[in-house]
Amino acid sequence: MIKKKVTIINSAGLHARPSASLVKLASKFKSDFFIHSYGYRVNGKSILGVMTLAAECGAELELEVDGPDEQDAMDAIVDLVENKFGMEDE
Amino acid sequence: MEATNTTEITLKGRSVGSGVAIGKAVLLNSESKTVTPTSIKKSAVKKHKERFLKAKESLIEELQLMADELNDAGSAEIIDTQKQIIQDGEIEKSVFEIIERKLLSVDFAIYQTYCLFIERLKESGSELFRQRIVDLEDIRDRFISLVCNQQNKKSIKKGSLIVAREISPTDLVSYYEDGAIGLVMEKGGVTSHAAIIAKSLGIPCIVSAEKATKEVLNDKTVVLDAAEGILILNPSRKTISNYRKKAAKAAKKKKKKPDSFETSDGVPVKITANIEFEAEVPKIKEHGAQGIGLLRTESLLFGHRLRKSMEEQEAFYSTILKGTNGAVTIRLFDIGGDKTSGRTVKEGNPFLGWRGIRLLLDEKELLQNQLKAILKTAAKYPGQIRILVPMVSVINEVAEIKKELEEAKHKLNSEGIEFEENVPLGLMVEVPSVALSAHQFAKEVDFLSVGTNDLTQYTLAVDRGNERICNLFQHYHPSVLKLIKMTVKGAEKAGIDVSVCGELAGDEIGAACLIGLGIKELSMVPKSISGIGELLQSKTKADFEKLAKSALELSSSEELESVYEEWKK
Repeated sequence: MIKKKVTIINSAGLHARPSASLVKLASKFKSDFFIHSYGYRVNGKSILGVMTLAAECGAELELEVDGPDEQDAMDAIVDLVENKFGMEDE
Repeated sequence: MEATNTTEITLKGRSVGSGVAIGKAVLLNSESKTVTPTSIKKSAVKKHKERFLKAKESLIEELQLMADELNDAGSAEIIDTQKQIIQDGEIEKSVFEIIERKLLSVDFAIYQTYCLFIERLKESGSELFRQRIVDLEDIRDRFISLVCNQQNKKSIKKGSLIVAREISPTDLVSYYEDGAIGLVMEKGGVTSHAAIIAKSLGIPCIVSAEKATKEVLNDKTVVLDAAEGILILNPSRKTISNYRKKAAKAAKKKKKKPDSFETSDGVPVKITANIEFEAEVPKIKEHGAQGIGLLRTESLLFGHRLRKSMEEQEAFYSTILKGTNGAVTIRLFDIGGDKTSGRTVKEGNPFLGWRGIRLLLDEKELLQNQLKAILKTAAKYPGQIRILVPMVSVINEVAEIKKELEEAKHKLNSEGIEFEENVPLGLMVEVPSVALSAHQFAKEVDFLSVGTNDLTQYTLAVDRGNERICNLFQHYHPSVLKLIKMTVKGAEKAGIDVSVCGELAGDEIGAACLIGLGIKELSMVPKSISGIGELLQSKTKADFEKLAKSALELSSSEELESVYEEWKK
């Protein structure tokens, strides 16, 4: 299992569509994926879980990936977050 | 005058058509969206889980079809997100857990699960995220109504009177088939889709009956007087017996069906029916219609049936043809404006926007599918089918639709499928530009059909669905009659026929003027046929012409109403 802290940097935060991209990406990997934020721990493969974190721009999240392809998964997810979910700020 | 335990309460609404219905009220979708927990037996767990899965599948299917039809990336992405929300594994896990462990019904399980997530979003206090709450509530409610419909659909008894805030046309037809005899809607105008269908099915109906779902009690006998626009709750015995007599009298009158349609001096006018659903087919014969002047096809696209395959369309057309003597005019999908479907987009001016032929020419696959289905069916019923194109406004569209028709034939030919080569093509005259240049449009096609509702709307610039200004919607405005006259002249010049398939055709005053203007075919809701037949026989062709001539000289609808009263004597 690996853990890593990231900061949400797109201005809209983890709202519906970024959450959708995140979940879609995470679901491609076999590893389990959880997100910790302010005492909550949600399933990162559930869009409602991710959305209800209500992570706005600047929010710090701790990613937890556990499974056979955990490193690849973590790299891809971190990449997505750092690239503002592939969309320009809305 | 009578002493009873309960007092009669009369609710007012707006009248749609006529008729009386006495029956037990069935309340649909009452205001409250709170779902209360209902216990279920252990043996029912599997069924409730299956209902969840089935509803989920329908929701996804609906969204998928929508996504296929929306071309822009933005909306596709939003739909995609919704799909993900519906398919979210956490939802399923929670719903199943509530059903299995707590032994509660599926609708409540869905309600509670979504509410939990909604609560969490509310707690976040972030405005941006609060907006998502609306989406979640929407999905939750659609989910619940889907699982409930599957449960409620068959539960109405014959002779029930439907009381609802709003009802979709497909639901209405399905309740009608189950034996509903009347409809009371809280929302909706007289020209809302459900109201038009109720009228066409011949079910007494009132709309805009405020608070109906709050006042009416389930399973209590009520009296609906559609002509007066009232619903009577707790009717006394005397009231019921009075209305029974009234209903019996009306039924007797309805039975009389005219054997021929001609003026008193023997000039024939063809009287045909406007229909939309298979359930209406028996009505055609019952009322003696000489064919179908307008077959609406949008119902093929409603709700979950967002798009039907060519075979399904064909089956629908064949059923209609089988039940009809005479010609059937099939109108191509008339979507847009107030008729929404999955492919509708938000527009500033939907009635002046992407609708009718404009949309069809952009949605080639949809159009080709329909044209092919019609051409194929026509081979089985030679000489009986005509194609009608909605919402034409410029001549170029005629050339384009003809090209599409040739393309459809070409495709069928290369697929080795049998089809009818010569299916007459006609245009709806709904826009003043077509009426004003009717002689030019008429040269290009085989017939014209005037849609008076839209023509009036576009001539007077009045949205008939807008409650604030609908009083400006004058059915017999002389300007509209003048445009119809121009249409008749233009068609005569080109040697083709004109019919009228709008509401005006089934209206006594309207029909009298139309006959006088030289319209040779009137298509209307089946219910109006006998009345118009009688009207026809009551006067000579010259009488009608005289009325129409004076109508053209008047300055308003009201003036014509009084002139008509005099004329009729």
